[in-house]
Amino acid sequence: MTEEKRRKKIEIPEICRVEGHSAVHIEIVGDRVENVQLDVFEGMRFFERLIIGHQQDEIPHITSRVCAICSTGHVLAAIRAVEKIAGFAPSPATSLMRELMHLGMIIESNSTHIYALALPDFLGFEDVHQFASQHTEEFKAWTDLRNLGCLIQTILGGRPFHPVNLHVGGFSRFPSIEDFQKIETDLRSKYALAIRTCEVLMKFSPPVRRTSEPVFFALVPENDHYGYFGDQIRSNHGFQARVEEYKTYLKEETVPYSHAKRSSVEGKPIMVGSMARLTMFSDRLSSNAKSIFDSSALAKGDHNTIWNNLAQGIEIVEAFDRCLAIIETLIQTKAEWDPFDKRQHSRAIVPPVQGAACGTVECPRGTLYHYYELDEKGFVVAADMITPSAQNTYRIERDIHEVVSQTINEEYDEEREKTLTRNLETLVRAYDPCNTCATHMVSVKYTS
Amino acid sequence: MTAGSPLPSIAVHGLTGCAGELLVILENLENLIPYVRVSSFPFAQSKNEDDRPVDIAFVEGSVSQPHDLERLKKIRAQARWLVGVGNCAVWGCVQRDGCRKESAVAMFEKTYGDKSQDDVMPSTPLSDHVRVDVKLSGCPINSTQLLAVTASLLRDHLPYITSKPVCLECKLRENACVLIENNLPCLGPITAGGCGALCPTFGAACYGCWGPSEQPQMEAMSTILQEKGYEMNEVMSRLFAFGAPDELFERVKRTIPQVSVDTI
Ligand code: SF4
Ligand code: SF4
Repeated sequence: MTEEKRRKKIEIPEICRVEGHSAVHIEIVGDRVENVQLDVFEGMRFFERLIIGHQQDEIPHITSRVCAICSTGHVLAAIRAVEKIAGFAPSPATSLMRELMHLGMIIESNSTHIYALALPDFLGFEDVHQFASQHTEEFKAWTDLRNLGCLIQTILGGRPFHPVNLHVGGFSRFPSIEDFQKIETDLRSKYALAIRTCEVLMKFSPPVRRTSEPVFFALVPENDHYGYFGDQIRSNHGFQARVEEYKTYLKEETVPYSHAKRSSVEGKPIMVGSMARLTMFSDRLSSNAKSIFDSSALAKGDHNTIWNNLAQGIEIVEAFDRCLAIIETLIQTKAEWDPFDKRQHSRAIVPPVQGAACGTVECPRGTLYHYYELDEKGFVVAADMITPSAQNTYRIERDIHEVVSQTINEEYDEEREKTLTRNLETLVRAYDPCNTCATHMVSVKYTS
Repeated sequence: MTAGSPLPSIAVHGLTGCAGELLVILENLENLIPYVRVSSFPFAQSKNEDDRPVDIAFVEGSVSQPHDLERLKKIRAQARWLVGVGNCAVWGCVQRDGCRKESAVAMFEKTYGDKSQDDVMPSTPLSDHVRVDVKLSGCPINSTQLLAVTASLLRDHLPYITSKPVCLECKLRENACVLIENNLPCLGPITAGGCGALCPTFGAACYGCWGPSEQPQMEAMSTILQEKGYEMNEVMSRLFAFGAPDELFERVKRTIPQVSVDTI
């Protein structure tokens, strides 16, 4: 290493993941990491503005388009907000089916992230041909799990994403008992695969290590089991609040270098997503998911970012168990929700009420907030959405800062540069960033 | 194609959209891989050859910033066939309607505060900027149509994609009409089919996600919705939510008495 001051730039160019493109800029001056910027330069669609003037029934179908892979989450967050404003409580069967739908998304999204996006780092393949031809077992595991997630969402929602069957007030058509049995059969036949996914993930040791402990935020599940819906937010530092108060604890700000807003709590970064949920609510896991968790580094308090991949795997196992339990209940309570003429009863009319509320769900990547103000006819007057990826951005920057700082006194040769670059990518990708994007190409450029 | 010659290549790119088409293509990998080489797919792989010619380029998303436009032009220059996939690429989807209501710059300022950046553009479909060989709409696209389009291009045929209304598919499925029998605001009559009349099959109203059908009878649709008691503001916002072009918007707007126009 020379005496002269270095500048280091980390670019993430072609990141077409969900909401576009991002780059990382790291500035090193002397032996200090001066600045880390996660620059999200995806095109903007202004959902908070374009939704204004639409009627409450239209909201879920439009906000679904924020993101395909977590469209179910956007649909459900919107529905929860509208129903909260209207003071409408869905029937128990409707709630269960919504949860089942959400778990379908968790299975699909987590397995796609684990196998297709995160695993290449650990198995060392570079393109989809290598994935399909040289890692056939993993490729099949991915297709099997993903197809299961798609099946659940297609049966409940009409298609694998951007569901057409979920509405304010309920479902336009309930699936049949045979449909639920089909899901059940598929779940049982792939159960071992879910467990094996975790076993695989446990074996990969983290290539880098952040040095500070993150502050985790997640919704308190509204029922007594592990879950993704709730109206209370909690941190692992003892903070708890109603989500309607989000503006008082979650500070969203624009940064000049990025199109993504950056969130912080009391000026500090937070982390949301699978690891946050498991850190606070592992005692609610199903017994199989719990025993995997207990045998993992996570249970020992190791919060290395890379373990978020494993956390997603554990949530797949949990989702299998919960799906089976839901289906069992639905079949047992068939008489309550499956009247002779389904069409008449599956969707309630929700008369509009003037007001405002926040609908929140835990998406695969963390807490998603949808806030709406409606007028007396149910038209949107104002809207606000905070996505999990926006909440994680600051923490990603902090992680990069800490990892690069540890290497600062090392000699940088080409090989080391490459390794550092690759490891930073792996780190960013473990967050499964949605609008900030998981990337497969980072290049570090050194200019002196 | 002769034995031993390399497989034809495809590239998959996303501009400004929800990644729905990227996801559909990802989910069809096992069907595509035996027949094509995926030379670029940044969403799914780390090794991408973006500077080499490609047989088919699939492009998702609208053009919503100068960066999108730059990329689109590069993609076009390298591609033998350019296929616009999804409503965003073909029509501009929900972000286009957003830009009609309010300028992109104004929306930027309201969403991101006064820290304005000068790199916003109104959202537009690909064909406003480059030649698009095949327009495959959907939100998301239908997998079967994707494979059919690919198969056809691999044989050097430009596929024929109809955009007859959803109603046609609805009739073929012998659904009860939700517009007539359930009094729902179904946009099937003016929306391009391709989904197999998904919403009406589930007993719900079509909300137009495929974009407009051929020769959409917008005025008639608007009249029907008004007869059902929808006010004109709501009719307009429903009719044009999913990317219908400005000409149609202006056409329907002309049918509205002047007084209410300003409020739309
Ligand atoms: S239900 Fe909708 S799509 Fe089907 S025939 Fe009626 S108007 Fe057309
Ligand atoms: S019926 Fe209409 S809204 Fe529903 S999937 Fe088809 S085109 Fe889209």
